[in-house]
Amino acid sequence: MNLYEHTIVVKQDISPGQIEKLTEKYSKIVEKNDGNIVQTQNWGLLNLSYIIKKNKKANYIHFKIKANGKIIKELEKNESIDQNLLRYMTVKVKKFDLETNYFSKNDEIGKKEYNKN
Amino acid sequence: MIKRKNTKNKKKQSNFAKLSIFQNNKFKFKKSCPLSVKGAPIVDYKNIKLLKKYISENGKILPSRITNISQKKQRELSLSIKRARNLALI
Repeated sequence: MNLYEHTIVVKQDISPGQIEKLTEKYSKIVEKNDGNIVQTQNWGLLNLSYIIKKNKKANYIHFKIKANGKIIKELEKNESIDQNLLRYMTVKVKKFDLETNYFSKNDEIGKKEYNKN
Repeated sequence: MIKRKNTKNKKKQSNFAKLSIFQNNKFKFKKSCPLSVKGAPIVDYKNIKLLKKYISENGKILPSRITNISQKKQRELSLSIKRARNLALI
């Protein structure tokens, strides 16, 4: 069993209900194959730094998965077909950092700074 | 008397110039790597605020001789910057 961090970039014009369906769909694939999802984070709608397939914004979903390498192959096979996704990336890590969520914090800090200005 | 003083001053200056050429490291203010100090932030592709410090305005990675980052941390940085680029975060 290895530890993986997996992020999906979803198109901007998709409703929040559909996003939940997508997260369920991919977490089911992992759980069917004896994998374990430790944590899911929804980073929300973020600005892309460059345009991907005529999209300026995108939703980010982040998984922390404990599973074998074969499952990742299976996941990426399904994701490469999916038309709602723009990008996906998996990174193998040695330790999970479960406490910090950079994106929720960033929003709060950013808002405070804007208020000051 | 005045002449002697002048000569002394000249000698001092010349000595200092020699030192600054050959023993550069002793006299230059040498910064330590900001990321390998205790309590330094972890380099990660999700930590965009940290990564943005180490790229130029055009999005290029800054060389370590400017930012004074150790070789090991620079490798980590460049890898995580490339990951963040792939996700269009930077």
